[in-house]
Amino acid sequence: MPTLIVCEDANPNSPDCIYTGELIVPCAHIHPESSVVQLGSNFTAVCVLKEKCMDDYHVTANDIFWKTGRVPVPYEQYSVINRTASSVTFPNITLINALLTCNIRMFGQINRSVYGIRIISGLPPEKPKNLSCIVNEGKKMMCQWDPGRETYLETNYTLKSEWATEKFDDCKAKRDTPTSCTVDYPPVYFVNIEVWVEAENALGKVTSDHINFDPVDKVKLNPPHILSVNSSKELSSILKLTWTDSRFKSFITLKYDIQYRTKDASTWNQVPPEDTSSTRSSFTVQDLKPFTEYVFRIRCMKEDGKGYWSDWSEEASGITYEDRPSKAPNFWYKIEPSHAHGTRSIQLKWKTLPPFEANGKILDYEVTLTKWKSHSQNYTVKDTKLTVNLTNDRYVATLTARNLVGKSDASVLTIPAWDFQATHPITDLKAFPKDNVLWVEWTAPNESVNRYILEWCVLSDKSPCIPDWQQEDGTVHRTYLRGNLVESKCYLITVTPVYDDGPGSPKHIKAYLKQAAPSRGPTVRTKKVGKNEAVLEWDHLPIDVQNGFIRNYTIFYRTVIGNEIAVNVDSSHTEYTLSSLTSDTLYMVRMAAYTDEGGKDGPEFTFTTPKFAQGEIEAIVVPVCLAFLLTTLLGVLFCFNKRDLIKKHIWPNVPDPSKSHIAQWSPHTPPRHFNSKDQMYPDGNFTDVSVVEIEANDKKPFPEDLKSLDLFKKEKVNTEGHSSGIGGSSCMSSSRPSISSSDENESAQNTSSTVQYSTVVHSGYRHQVPSVQVFSRSESTQPLLDSEERPEDLQLVDNVDGSDGILPRQRYFKQNCSQHETSPDISHFERSQQVSSVNEEDFVRLKQQQISDHISQPYGSGKMKMFQEVPAVDAFGPGIEGQVERFETVGMEDAVDEGMPKSYLPQTVRRGGYMPQ
Amino acid sequence: MKVLAAGVVPLLLVLHWKHGAGSPLPITPVNATCATRHPCPSNLMNQIRNQLGQLNSSANSLFILYYTAQGEPFPNNLDKLCSPNVTDFPPFHANGTEKARLVELYRIIAYLGASLGNITRDQKVLNPYAHGLHSKLSTTADVLRGLLSNVLCRLCSKYHVSHVDVTYGPDTSGKDVFQKKKLGCQLLGKYKQVIAVLAQAF
Repeated sequence: MPTLIVCEDANPNSPDCIYTGELIVPCAHIHPESSVVQLGSNFTAVCVLKEKCMDDYHVTANDIFWKTGRVPVPYEQYSVINRTASSVTFPNITLINALLTCNIRMFGQINRSVYGIRIISGLPPEKPKNLSCIVNEGKKMMCQWDPGRETYLETNYTLKSEWATEKFDDCKAKRDTPTSCTVDYPPVYFVNIEVWVEAENALGKVTSDHINFDPVDKVKLNPPHILSVNSSKELSSILKLTWTDSRFKSFITLKYDIQYRTKDASTWNQVPPEDTSSTRSSFTVQDLKPFTEYVFRIRCMKEDGKGYWSDWSEEASGITYEDRPSKAPNFWYKIEPSHAHGTRSIQLKWKTLPPFEANGKILDYEVTLTKWKSHSQNYTVKDTKLTVNLTNDRYVATLTARNLVGKSDASVLTIPAWDFQATHPITDLKAFPKDNVLWVEWTAPNESVNRYILEWCVLSDKSPCIPDWQQEDGTVHRTYLRGNLVESKCYLITVTPVYDDGPGSPKHIKAYLKQAAPSRGPTVRTKKVGKNEAVLEWDHLPIDVQNGFIRNYTIFYRTVIGNEIAVNVDSSHTEYTLSSLTSDTLYMVRMAAYTDEGGKDGPEFTFTTPKFAQGEIEAIVVPVCLAFLLTTLLGVLFCFNKRDLIKKHIWPNVPDPSKSHIAQWSPHTPPRHFNSKDQMYPDGNFTDVSVVEIEANDKKPFPEDLKSLDLFKKEKVNTEGHSSGIGGSSCMSSSRPSISSSDENESAQNTSSTVQYSTVVHSGYRHQVPSVQVFSRSESTQPLLDSEERPEDLQLVDNVDGSDGILPRQRYFKQNCSQHETSPDISHFERSQQVSSVNEEDFVRLKQQQISDHISQPYGSGKMKMFQEVPAVDAFGPGIEGQVERFETVGMEDAVDEGMPKSYLPQTVRRGGYMPQ
Repeated sequence: MKVLAAGVVPLLLVLHWKHGAGSPLPITPVNATCATRHPCPSNLMNQIRNQLGQLNSSANSLFILYYTAQGEPFPNNLDKLCSPNVTDFPPFHANGTEKARLVELYRIIAYLGASLGNITRDQKVLNPYAHGLHSKLSTTADVLRGLLSNVLCRLCSKYHVSHVDVTYGPDTSGKDVFQKKKLGCQLLGKYKQVIAVLAQAF
């Protein structure tokens, strides 16, 4: 092993390393030089310093220290043997591949590597096992073995071989394939050769067991080559196979392995080995099906079984010869609509025989139709259906298939008469998928069934039901549909038992070969949306998109911000009511339909719940309206009742000068004067009225009242005189300002400025006739109304004569309080109420004014007394009417007693009127 | 082919066969101990028979392949050009003892092996593109070598014969092309004839 000098700790150009030109002069040596160490062993290395170095550097073995790589070895592993040698020991060495250096520590703590070896640990090779060889025909021998454990070292494997008399060259395994080797000499058969393997690395060499064999016993022959597969006209069940095989068959005996299968089969049939245990070049395979294509393959090996089977030959196929059809075709019929009376259009249909039953190419079919007690009708058809028109009688149809060799057995079908009633159906019909086919199972009826007819078609909204069919034997009660069924399609399966006298009642069932999730989900919509609920509705999915049996629906609904809620709905439903919804909220709803294999969502639908429920608005609005209406009505009624008061505050009555009258200038025309007053206030706007009725009838025993009246009259006279002095008027001009000054000052002033009324009523007191002629004068500048001159007014007055005496009271009011006489036709009671609506203060003021008015009149004093005796409460109280009435009556009687000619008051007042004395 | 001599294997024979020398060499019996590298198989005689059968099954095709490959006039003048008139061909006595037959067989195989070596060498020169012939010649030579090993193993293991004198055919290296072809054709004709006899004898 070459010496390894390292200077790891110092610059090579430094004095720490000793260089002499290109060579480094070693200062020491390490023993052993071999650096390959077996794993798990103890390794000891000794470093021996050279004397020259020791002298040059003044070092001894005590100055030696060891390193593995850059890591110093602990001093515990050192051992100073003598002055020049130091050893290091590595117990139980592990997997390592490192540099072990011997270093010295010189003066000045300068370290220097003086020698080094590389330590590689590993394992010696294991004895190769399982050595075996193979000789591929035409190639050289190849041997392989199991090398055993990993050695971690470079290990050479050599295959050695020899005859008894000579040795062959070694076969060295390649580095990348250390487990096999192919010799470079051609195989020589019938000469035993001994083979073994040597494995060798730095830690040792080991040899495998020797194997001794004849290469011919390790041979793997080339596969035979099939030349032909021939059929025989005499026998439709045989095929003859011929081949060529190895040249070995010229000097060794071979055996063969022949397999065959039908073309569409996947499993092979085996020719019995004992039939092919000798060298041959052909073999006839028997018991094959007629007119069937078979595929063959063959392999060979030494007859004694030593060696290896060859690879399989290339496959070759052949077809057996034809034979007569082995089975009658499946036969069925269908009644087609016919317009002819008394005949039926029957479509006879049959299935082509499968090749293993046809046993050849079917040339044609022979159909025979036989009606009871009549001649048969024969048809030769190349197709698989025949349509014939038959009478409504019962027929028997037979069918045979014919090929090159012969005819099949006949298939018989009974076509019942038109009035035949099918009975005896099967029961417990089931259909289910299994192993990628659709199985149909049923329970046979009690009657003997010749065979069953299974029909099926795809249910679709887009295409009609085109049935396929198959026939099963009468003993079968479970089979699978042998058509090209596809997944996700709904099949309507019909099973009909066939009896001797015709078909039985069919039974139907729907099934899927394999379900899938619907192609699309249902489209949900709202049928009705309420405040807190919504009625959803949807249509059943079309059969083409269902892809399976719809098991249930799931309705998902949510608000914009809310969580989604799912509701499962049975598949039979097409409507669902979502309850507990929030009003005035946008909802998003979608619906999923689920089959056994999954679901599919439909499009999302949005709707908004209304703010109010149906009828809720009406329930609110109608009562509110009613309440409003009622309130309005009440208000109107109230206002109607209080209209005078309201009017007073809103539209105070302004006396219309054009309607002013001189009450009466002549005693001869009183009726017209008063009638004009009646018409002057047709609407009854008569506000702020103080009613003072003076009993003028001295026949009535009211002495106190009379006194009061006298007092009032006295006051009136006084007042009257005063008024006359001011404006020449008696009542209106004097009392008017005092009454309306509080709230109608301006209007009163205007009135007094434009129309001045003056009525001088001079009546006697207590039946005393005044000596002075009574007159009444108006200072109005306005012309008198035409009505005063109109004769119809007279007529009205005459008519009023028969009334109950209201007018006289009105006249009274008019004469005394002309400004507020706006409602001549209002009842006395109403007027009393109007009076009562005036506040007490006004009333007091009114009384004072009236008192002052009466004082100005000749009889004012009496009236004054009267007012003073009437309490304010009475004026507003319920008894005021009666009292007023009483006063009125008194006044009226008084006027009657005084006599009409003496008064300037209207003559129409005959009762209750104020009659001047 | 490198064959290592060991024990009783005749060194000269081996060297001669290896180099294909055509001239017969004097064989000097060597009284050496008969030993083999490993024990001979028990079915050695059966293997010898199989080998003879293997050679016999291919001898005629080899002969045809050879004269066909030589071209005219060989295919149409087999009797004249390829008659099995080989001088000094070792004799064989089928009625002899097994040991005698094995010894004679050994000599014949040694003779044929050496001659076949010469023919193979010549044909690679004369008909360098006749690969089929070359291959078949090599295969036949390999089988002969195996047969020789078996016979020797049998003689050694059973009859303790450690040395057999052998003779070789004429050296063709100095002859002209036609003579080489003719000698080769005659040798293969002889080979076909002899091997059939040997196959029957064992």
